[in-house]
Amino acid sequence: MAGKDIKKGVIKGILKLSLILGCGFVLLFLLKSIVPGPTEDGYRFFPLIGSRVWVWIIAQLHLNFAAFVLGVPIFAVTMEFLGWRRTDERLDRIAYDFTKLFTLAYTLTAIMGAILMVSLPLLYPRFIGHMMKILGPTWWAYILFMYGEVFVCYYYFYSWHRMKERKGLHVLIGVLLNVMGGILLLVTSSWVGYMTTPGGVSETGELLNRWHAINTYMWIPLSLHRLFANVVFGAGIAAAYAAFRFITAATEDEKAYYDWMGYTSAMISIGFSLILPGIGYLLGVEIYSFNEQMGIQLMGGFYAWLWVMQAILIGAILFLVNYYLWISLNKMPGGERYFRYVKFLFIVVFLGYIIWLTPHSVALSLEEARRIGSYHPALGKLGVMASKNTAVIVSYMATFISFAIFRMSNKEPTVSWARAGHILRALIIVVSSVVVLGIGVYSYMVPSVTRVRVLSPIQFGIFFLAILALYILDSRMYKNARIIGEPRWGKMPERSQYALIGITVTFTWLMGMMGYMRSGGRMYWHVYGIMKDTSPDAYLPAHGVAAVIVTTVTLLFFFMIASVFWSVMKLEKFSEKRRSD
Amino acid sequence: MSNYYPVLVLIGLLISVISAYRKAPFYNYIGIQITIYGLLKSAALIMPPLPAQVIVMYVAMSLFAFLIYFSIREETFRAFLEPMRSVLADRDKKLQRVVLVFIAIPLFAGYITYAKVRPSYKPPVTGRIVHPEPPQEIDFRGKTISILGLENPLRKETDRLKDHLEAGKKIYYQNCFFCHGDDLDGRGLFEQAFNPPPLPFRGTDTIAQLPESFVFWRIAKGWKALPPGSHPWDSAMPSFEDFLTEDQIWQVILFIYEATGNKPRTWE
Repeated sequence: MAGKDIKKGVIKGILKLSLILGCGFVLLFLLKSIVPGPTEDGYRFFPLIGSRVWVWIIAQLHLNFAAFVLGVPIFAVTMEFLGWRRTDERLDRIAYDFTKLFTLAYTLTAIMGAILMVSLPLLYPRFIGHMMKILGPTWWAYILFMYGEVFVCYYYFYSWHRMKERKGLHVLIGVLLNVMGGILLLVTSSWVGYMTTPGGVSETGELLNRWHAINTYMWIPLSLHRLFANVVFGAGIAAAYAAFRFITAATEDEKAYYDWMGYTSAMISIGFSLILPGIGYLLGVEIYSFNEQMGIQLMGGFYAWLWVMQAILIGAILFLVNYYLWISLNKMPGGERYFRYVKFLFIVVFLGYIIWLTPHSVALSLEEARRIGSYHPALGKLGVMASKNTAVIVSYMATFISFAIFRMSNKEPTVSWARAGHILRALIIVVSSVVVLGIGVYSYMVPSVTRVRVLSPIQFGIFFLAILALYILDSRMYKNARIIGEPRWGKMPERSQYALIGITVTFTWLMGMMGYMRSGGRMYWHVYGIMKDTSPDAYLPAHGVAAVIVTTVTLLFFFMIASVFWSVMKLEKFSEKRRSD
Repeated sequence: MSNYYPVLVLIGLLISVISAYRKAPFYNYIGIQITIYGLLKSAALIMPPLPAQVIVMYVAMSLFAFLIYFSIREETFRAFLEPMRSVLADRDKKLQRVVLVFIAIPLFAGYITYAKVRPSYKPPVTGRIVHPEPPQEIDFRGKTISILGLENPLRKETDRLKDHLEAGKKIYYQNCFFCHGDDLDGRGLFEQAFNPPPLPFRGTDTIAQLPESFVFWRIAKGWKALPPGSHPWDSAMPSFEDFLTEDQIWQVILFIYEATGNKPRTWE
């Protein structure tokens, strides 16, 4: 019976994908014969909002869902693996809940993908023709792996209970699902990489070497950045789901479970986000290496303001994460001992936030410009990478300490060297912070190339070494520790859950704005330096316009993801009813 | 006016300290915000004033951050909300409620609306981009020069570097020092005539942040070539391609880096 269920589920998934793709192809064929032909330079125009805005909205929605269905399986499988090895039913349940979420989200991802698949060749036939000429085989590989992923995904979901006794094999299927997802991500990143930092073609756009067209400057850094950002995003959505379920929970048991789920998801999200600045930095260096003008355009030119906005939003996310962890001390027996450290952590995060959001380019009235001059001495010093990198590393360090405090707050170490361990911990924190700050100050005195290629990586390296050392130290020190009391899961004020939702909404909006920036780096080129955009949309929209579009996309996305949440809840109720009948 | 802001800092501090002592977090929050605003405005006593936009950003951030701080502990947050709850709900606070809800808040909203719509003759605030993006290539007296990857050719002539520097110095004092100053600090004779004032070359935040190719483009093309984001009308920099040769521009670039002790930004 269960075997039949798996077969039925997988066939359902494959049929659904085939139906969506089939509808897409038929629609494309029909529309091509109905709508007027493209202009001489290869464009059709979408009514009212224009082709660019239409493709922008659909592509971003598709990307958001794709990020979700690629990111969530990574930690669902991790949870399942941990649950299996530790024989922890709760971890298995959380993994299953996540799997339910992404399996349902696949349909919406595919629908958005199909709309994009129809829109692009219809509205930009010349550009898509070029892309197919250069990277055509990768598109067919994409379709193939998409089918593979859907097959594995549905098999993974529908075989969950059936393979309860063969967990190892089931985890392996989950790993295969992630491998498929990783390949899809690599394929799609190669398209964006080619558009932004093209290679393997002549100046007139003739293919010289397909592998070089795939393996561009941007390909691997962008893929890595997307991979980790997907996990951060997917876990963030799961945390928001848990927060929503916590707020609407009817029983104490439910509250406790969703509180724990929210905490676990949020910590995975934040844990992976620690890696993002480093990879983002690598991506930036690659863009500069490809084309300095594009680098300046993105970092210091037209998009300088977006970095300020990014700083405001990431600073807000960090603040909300710390807030969630600090509030969580309330539910830990013994947590009150650590409140005295919170004010110091607050000051560090606050100062880091001040530096991080300090703009280099400012909006000035004529009178202010007269009095200040072109460069304000304080803003000129704080608004540059040397200070900002330092501030973000120190803020992340404070966030890690908040996390460590939360984990140890209900425990007392019993090892004989506990006092020495506490001193060592303080030393690691102080020394690493002082060294990071020292390097930050020294960064002002060296050529840019030294700062970018040597000092900043050293700062990030010190940070990662320090948190690794702290993690190992705490693991050793708190092994067999005396437990003061178990965490009172579910005993959290509702405002903490709104913080989780706030983090996810902010992150989604930020993803949209950064996507606008990455895409805008190409300026008036479809393929930078190779194929010009000659459509009426070949101009950079104002940041305000971009913000309105990205906000619309974010609202649409959350409306759609809410429908996924609602479906999951309906499904649960239906299953419960069937069980009780 | 900025002379009075330290007083505001003191008032804010006083409110904050008394509120902390009396365990009244709401008033402590107000005191902290007043202190921070006063400090930001008082900065004008020791440096050029902070732009209004930056002050708004800092104050908004501080409102958000301290709200978070005072809502971490349950009892603190309850005490924080108490004055608001009390004014809005307690029977004996009817007068305060009427004053706040029916007079103070509408008046404040009215003032904000008035301030937004009243006619102003000041030019609008404009966002300036400090590092405008250079073009990929420029036309220099009929010759196409690629800005990307462009290096100062004179640096390779190590045996003649001294001569080039000397020539650059001469060019600087014949052409640039009127605006950029004899100490290269942006305080030349004409400084007061321009808004915004000419760039200083000293310090670590102007030419030290730029590759020489960028500086070449700025000297050769001046205000005319600035992209819209940098508002060409906000610069009085002439196009020196009309007055100087390619080599002369490179010579003056050598000089401004050498004289200020800065090194051009490089990627290799």
